Amino acid sequence: MKNSRALVWGANRWERYGLPFLVAVILLVFSLLSVPFRSTYNLASNLSFASLVSIGSIGMVFCIMSGDFDISIGSMSALAGVLGASMVTRIGGPGSILLTIAIATLCGFVNGVFVTKLRIPAFITTLGMQFVYRALAYIYTTNTPVYIKDEFWLSIGSGSVLGIPSPILIMGLCFGVAVYVLRKTPFGRHVVAVGTSKNAAMLSGINVDFVKTAVFTLVGFFVGIATVVTASYLGSVNPGMTGQGYEFQVITVVVLGGTALTGGNGNLFGAFFAALFITYLQNGLGLMQVNSYWQYVATGLVLILAISINRLKSTILGQREA
Amino acid sequence: MIRFLKLYERFGIFIFIFIGAVFLSFATPNFLKLDTILNIIAQGSYAALVGYGMTLAITSGGFDLSVESSMGLASVVLAILIPVAGIPLAILGGVVAATCVGVLNGLIIAKLKVNPLITTLGMATIIKGVALLITSGKMIVIKQREFLAIGTGKILGIPNPIYIMVAFFVIFYFVVYRSSFGRHVAAVGSNESAARISGVNVDAVKIGVYALVALTAGLASVMRTSQALIGMPSMASGFVLVVLTVTILGGTSLTGGRANLWGTMLASIFIAMIYYGLNLINLQIFYQMLAVGIVLMLALFIEGLRLRFLKAAKAKGIKV
Repeated sequence: MKNSRALVWGANRWERYGLPFLVAVILLVFSLLSVPFRSTYNLASNLSFASLVSIGSIGMVFCIMSGDFDISIGSMSALAGVLGASMVTRIGGPGSILLTIAIATLCGFVNGVFVTKLRIPAFITTLGMQFVYRALAYIYTTNTPVYIKDEFWLSIGSGSVLGIPSPILIMGLCFGVAVYVLRKTPFGRHVVAVGTSKNAAMLSGINVDFVKTAVFTLVGFFVGIATVVTASYLGSVNPGMTGQGYEFQVITVVVLGGTALTGGNGNLFGAFFAALFITYLQNGLGLMQVNSYWQYVATGLVLILAISINRLKSTILGQREA
Repeated sequence: MIRFLKLYERFGIFIFIFIGAVFLSFATPNFLKLDTILNIIAQGSYAALVGYGMTLAITSGGFDLSVESSMGLASVVLAILIPVAGIPLAILGGVVAATCVGVLNGLIIAKLKVNPLITTLGMATIIKGVALLITSGKMIVIKQREFLAIGTGKILGIPNPIYIMVAFFVIFYFVVYRSSFGRHVAAVGSNESAARISGVNVDAVKIGVYALVALTAGLASVMRTSQALIGMPSMASGFVLVVLTVTILGGTSLTGGRANLWGTMLASIFIAMIYYGLNLINLQIFYQMLAVGIVLMLALFIEGLRLRFLKAAKAKGIKV
C-alpha cells in the first residue's frame, strides 16, 4: 500500500500548498508568454481587481460551510448598487455607500428568512430571489444605468492609503475580520457545527435558524462591500449588467479554494488564492488576445475540475481515517 | 390540513388557472375567444416541453441549470446546418448537439459524483462560451422561409407547438409512469442507495435523465429558432427560472421521487396566462420576471408547507 501513502501525502500537500502553487505557476507562465503581463503596474492592478471577487467570496465561504448556496448575489449587487448610487445627490457619498451595503445586507437577511422559514433547499429559494432582485433593479431604474456623481465614492477604486491601493486594504480588512470571526468566536464554531451536522448542532443547543439567517445576512453584507468597490471602478451601476454572472465567479472561487460543498469545512485563504488565480488567468488570456468567449469555457472548466479534484482529495484522505 | 394539501396537490393548479381565467375574462373581452386561448397555450408550450424534462430531473433528485445554454447551442448548430444539410437533418443536428450536452452533464454527475447544481452551472457557462465561439458572438439569420412553418404554422386551426406539447406529454407520460425507466428514476430520487442495492443501474438512469432534459431543451430551441428565423447563441435568458417554476408549481416534489407531469403542463399554461395579462396592461418585460419570481416563491412556500405537514403526520404515525 505504498502507493496509497504517497497519494495521501500528495492530497495533504495539495490541500495546503496547491493553490499558492497554481497561482505561482500561472504568474510564471503568463510572465514568460506576455510582456505587458509582467509589468508591475499590471500585476498590482490585477491584485486590486481580485478584490472584487474575493470580498464577495468571504460571505459565500460561510454560506457553503453552513451547507447552503446563495445564487442571488449578482442581482443583489445590482439592486443595492442602483438604489445606493441613485441616492448620492441626496445623502452624499459616504451615506450612499453605507446605504448600498445596508440594502445588500437586508437582501441577504430576506434570503435567510426565506431559507429558514420555507425549509426548501437554499439554491432554489435564492434562484427565485435572483430574478426578483434583478426585476426590481430594472423597474426602479427603468433599465437605465445610474452614474455615480461623487468624488469620494469614485476615489475608492483608484485611491490608496499609505501607498497601499484602497481595494487591497479593504480586502485585507474584510479577510482579517472574517478569519477572526471564523476561528475565534462562538458564531464561527456554530457555523462549522451546523454545516457538519444540522441535527447534531440542533441537539447540542445551537439555534440553527439563527445561524443560517446570520450567514445569509453576512453574504449580503460582503456583497454590498464588493458592490461599492466595483461601482467605484466602473463609475456607474447598470441594472442589467452589474453582477451578471457574479454568483458563478464567486462560487467557482470558493469551491476552487477548497471549501467543501458538503459543508462544515471552509477555507478563506483558499478562496483568496483562488480569486487571484481566476483574475490572473482571465487577465493573462485577455492580454494574449484570446477570444473573450474562451474565458467562459475556461472558468466553467476550472469549476468542474476544481470540484472533481476536491472530491478525489477527500476520498483519499477519507480512506486514511477508515 | 393534510387532506387539504393532498387535494391541493391534485387540483391546486386548476384553481390557479380558474382564478386567472376569471380575472382575464373580466379584464378583456378578447380572452374568451378560441384564438386567444390557443395562442396562450402555444406560448406556454416551450416551458411545458422543457418542463417535462425538468420534471424527470427533479424526480431523480437532481437539477439542470444548463437548459438555456443547451438551447443556445442547438439554435446555433441548427442555423449553421440548414443551408448545408437541409431542414430535417439540421433539426436532427441541433437536437443531437443539445442532447450531447445532457449526456456530458449526466456523465459528470454520475461518474465523477459532482453535485448536479455545480455541474450544470459550470456546463451552462462552458456551453454558452462554445455557442458564442461558434458564431463569434453574432446571430445567424436563416434564409429558408419554409423553416418558419414548424413554429408558426397551424394544422386544423391549432398552432403546431400545441401538437408538439401534447405529443411529448404522451411520450413522457409513458416514460415516467409506465416504463421501468420511469420507476427507476423515481427510485433513485427517493433513495439512491436503496435503488443501487436493489439492482438499479443508477449511473445509467442519471445519464438518461440529463440526456432527456437536454433533448427537450433542443426541441424547444428548434421551435423558437423557427419562429424567429435566427440562430441565437444566447437565447432565452431567464428561461430556466420559468421551467423550474412550472415544474415546482405543478406539484413535482423537490425532495425527489414524485413526478407530476400533468401539473407541469398546466402550470406552464398558467404562466403563459400571467404573461398575457401583463401584456394587456402594457407592463414591461421586467414585470414578467418579477411575476415569475414571485410565483416561484409562492410555489416554494406551498411545497415547504406540504413537506412540514407530511413530516408531522409521519411523526404522529398518520398514514398519508
